Amino acid sequence: MEEQVQMVNFTVNGVPASVRAERGWTLLHVLREVLGLMGTKYGCGTNDCGACKVLVDGKPRNSCTIPIKNVDACSIVTIEGLQEGGKLNILQRSFVECGAIQCGFCTPGMIISATALLAANPAPTETEIREAFSNNLCRCTGYVKIVEAVKLAAVRMAEVRNGAAALAGKEAQTGKEASRG
Amino acid sequence: MAKKAGHEHSAGYEQAKLFEKGAAERGFTWVGKGIPNRESEMKAAGEIQYIDDLRMPGMLHAKMLLSPHAHARIKSIDASKAEALPGVRAVAHYFNTPHIIYNSAARFYLDTSVFDMPKTEYIFDDTVRFVGDRVAAVAADDAAIAAAAVRLIEVEYELLPAVTTLEAAVEATSPQANPHGVDGTNVCGGRLAYGNADEAEVLAAINGADRVFTDTFRTSRVHHGYMEPVCHIAHYTRNGKLTVWTSSQNVFCFRDVLSTALDLPQSRIRVIKTVCGGAFGGKLEIMHEPVVAVLSMRTFRPVKLRLDRRETFSSSRSRHEGILTITSGVRKDGKLIGQHLRSSLNTGAYAGSGPNTVGAQSGKMFILYQAEKMFYSGASYYSNTPSAGAMRGYGCPQIMVTRETHTDRMARELGIDPVDFRLMNVVQPHQKNCMGNDMHNALVAECIRKGVAEFGWKERRAAALATQGGRLRRGVGMDVAVHGNGWYPVYQDLTTVTIRLNNDGSATLLTGTHDLGTGSRTILAQIAAEILTIPPLEIEVIEADTDVTPLDLGAQASRTTYIGGNATILAATELRDQLLAEAALILEVPAGRLEPEKGWVVDRENPDKRVSFTDVIGSAQSGKHGSQRELIATRTFESEDSVDSYVAVFCEVEVDTETGVVRPLNLMSVHNSGKVINPLLFEGQVHGGMHMGLGYALSEQMVTDPETGKLTNPNLKNYRMFKAADMPQIRILTVEDPESAGPFGAKSIGECATDGIAGAVVNATSHALGGVQLDRIPLTPEFILSKLKKS
Repeated sequence: MEEQVQMVNFTVNGVPASVRAERGWTLLHVLREVLGLMGTKYGCGTNDCGACKVLVDGKPRNSCTIPIKNVDACSIVTIEGLQEGGKLNILQRSFVECGAIQCGFCTPGMIISATALLAANPAPTETEIREAFSNNLCRCTGYVKIVEAVKLAAVRMAEVRNGAAALAGKEAQTGKEASRG
Repeated sequence: MAKKAGHEHSAGYEQAKLFEKGAAERGFTWVGKGIPNRESEMKAAGEIQYIDDLRMPGMLHAKMLLSPHAHARIKSIDASKAEALPGVRAVAHYFNTPHIIYNSAARFYLDTSVFDMPKTEYIFDDTVRFVGDRVAAVAADDAAIAAAAVRLIEVEYELLPAVTTLEAAVEATSPQANPHGVDGTNVCGGRLAYGNADEAEVLAAINGADRVFTDTFRTSRVHHGYMEPVCHIAHYTRNGKLTVWTSSQNVFCFRDVLSTALDLPQSRIRVIKTVCGGAFGGKLEIMHEPVVAVLSMRTFRPVKLRLDRRETFSSSRSRHEGILTITSGVRKDGKLIGQHLRSSLNTGAYAGSGPNTVGAQSGKMFILYQAEKMFYSGASYYSNTPSAGAMRGYGCPQIMVTRETHTDRMARELGIDPVDFRLMNVVQPHQKNCMGNDMHNALVAECIRKGVAEFGWKERRAAALATQGGRLRRGVGMDVAVHGNGWYPVYQDLTTVTIRLNNDGSATLLTGTHDLGTGSRTILAQIAAEILTIPPLEIEVIEADTDVTPLDLGAQASRTTYIGGNATILAATELRDQLLAEAALILEVPAGRLEPEKGWVVDRENPDKRVSFTDVIGSAQSGKHGSQRELIATRTFESEDSVDSYVAVFCEVEVDTETGVVRPLNLMSVHNSGKVINPLLFEGQVHGGMHMGLGYALSEQMVTDPETGKLTNPNLKNYRMFKAADMPQIRILTVEDPESAGPFGAKSIGECATDGIAGAVVNATSHALGGVQLDRIPLTPEFILSKLKKS
């Protein structure tokens, strides 16, 4: 039995975790049963529904089929890790406002997939958004308001970026003027 | 079913309706606002706790041993090895549990159903009747031990002949899948047959018409596909109290069944609905709650059972597969003279809601089209296949797709546009239908007209014709559908709501209705807010807990907004009256001159004269003006009007004639659901209903191997639900003319949203294929190719 136990070290939402992995343990099992992070859901256990999706080194992956030892030295982000300063982030707020959440069981996985999409592609087309959910099932919404929420989040995130850029530009300008003075 | 005769509305009801009318004229503050589901922040954060997220001290984990056989008698069970496994705390099976028969879909504790609802189920039986039926269950310290223990249980079976298809089940000479079948057959509970004349008379009228058409349509067994798998927790404590947490649509009926199956008084049972990760009817009937209850009764510890997805497919509930034959007699000009429909539904191994689903289906026969003579005849049949049960639509999608494809065929063969054919025959507002019932504000014709204009029906139909020669052919089709609002007049239909004012002027609303993610808590709060002028988020809504909330009959029959909303109006208006009466004593102004306004009671004639809710509540409690009292109102609403929601659905598809793939391009629903209380949630219901209907039409089916009765696709890879990229462009329109009986004019949407989708898709596909009659769903590529070969 001894050789089946192995220490696995990784980070979850930026916090280091060290787990004595037992045979058959998946990342989903460890997140929920060992680390108590219940936001990631069991929906199918067969890699088909996306309710258990998390970011593994920034890539959306179904945690239900990942053996825990495979995430050694990886950075994991779960739904619990997305809020900013204790508040819902832009994407999460967009899901709320657009009515993209009904029963909510698919929501964590949907938000994780959308997070990965928007990180890689800040201005996705509708087709690209729909493709980003190729491994996420939802039974309540027909995906309509989920797609709307991602579109809205993309716009708002661009506004924030542009605002930050404008601010940075202004500061740089002010700096220049100051140095000239 | 016959209507209760001459029932008078209560005075409170009439008063509430007058109040609603006034509110509508003044303009709504909260009703009609698209407020997001009140749980959505917690859901977006991943912080809300579903049942599988609950942890209780000492909680055990259960696993069931499920039958590998379609039909077998259990000769013996040897659980000694399982019991000896360290960490195993209890093993339950036929030989060590109570044998009290029940029906898991029971609607009422007293058997008042107008349909025969046979009791055919036990916690564990001595016979297994489908692959996935319960054999035994283990409770252990963790899920892995429970799973290991289940594998150690030794069962000796004696195989019995199995009935694994609906075709076999309807044959009178087939073996019995369940011994409760009527007269040695597989008929469950008896045949329901009625119309506005004798069957022979109806058939004679049909046969006397200019043209007679007959079609047989086959619909498949589909699953609800809720994302949250089936999960229950039970805790029986030494004081004799059983508490059950379950993702349920029907806590009070669950309590009824548990008290029957376990022979416990209802005061000793508490059923609590947990946050629901999707249900769609699939969590309306009690499933394995009695099993976790028995395991907890053995151990006095909380016991959790969570099915995996495979088990959720095989051992929960599904939509009744059906074979329906419809015959119509029509005049040459397209006027429907008579219609006869015969339906056979597969209820699976146990009765459950089989006969009730037939009953619900029968009602839809008479409220969509007008004909002189109409007759419905239907039965459900036992088979050794997974249990059917309630599912969004409840018998309606089967009859709609059958009749609507048949309607298109008649129109086609008579050379009439399907829109014109329907406009000629659908029911009209405030008419009597053939059964003599008032159709209330049935605006189905208006839905059709609006859809024709907005969808560009004529233009799209014409454009589709131009694609006829090619590989990719477009087709445009439509249909209509109807759904009720609660059970009246078939059953009693009541719910009670309590609202109390808190000391600071906020409120708490207690309701037995269930929010399944649909947003019903949000909607009831909006309705109460409109009356009390308290913002919705300052009204807490406590739902579905048998020890805490008043009685409700479950989230079913599209009744939650209609019935629950009306009860909320009654309770809120009474509470408002209490508030105004107390304020009148404080302000020394007649109550009739006062009205609530955002936390104040204000004298309409002198708006400076006002008193805060807090002061009014405090005054009432102090007894300054009479006895000391709490401002609290409890009112029961009894449904007294049978109103229906209508929809016209328009669809455009593209068929790849080489691969047989049908791709939906555009889908539009025009709903007559009265006043829409919350457009955001309303649209969400329609979108979800469309998703479910598209899968029903094109891709979803639970396939059983006829040899073994085993499901061949019990996973979400091979049970194909639509993904985001598969969805068509969607549009929703409404004909919002209020329905006077509904709360603020509202009617139901939940089921009507899915009832008409499949028919429109099939009709569009037929149109794409030059009028080929399609006689089953789903329209798989193989089926389409087989039809193309034949034509």
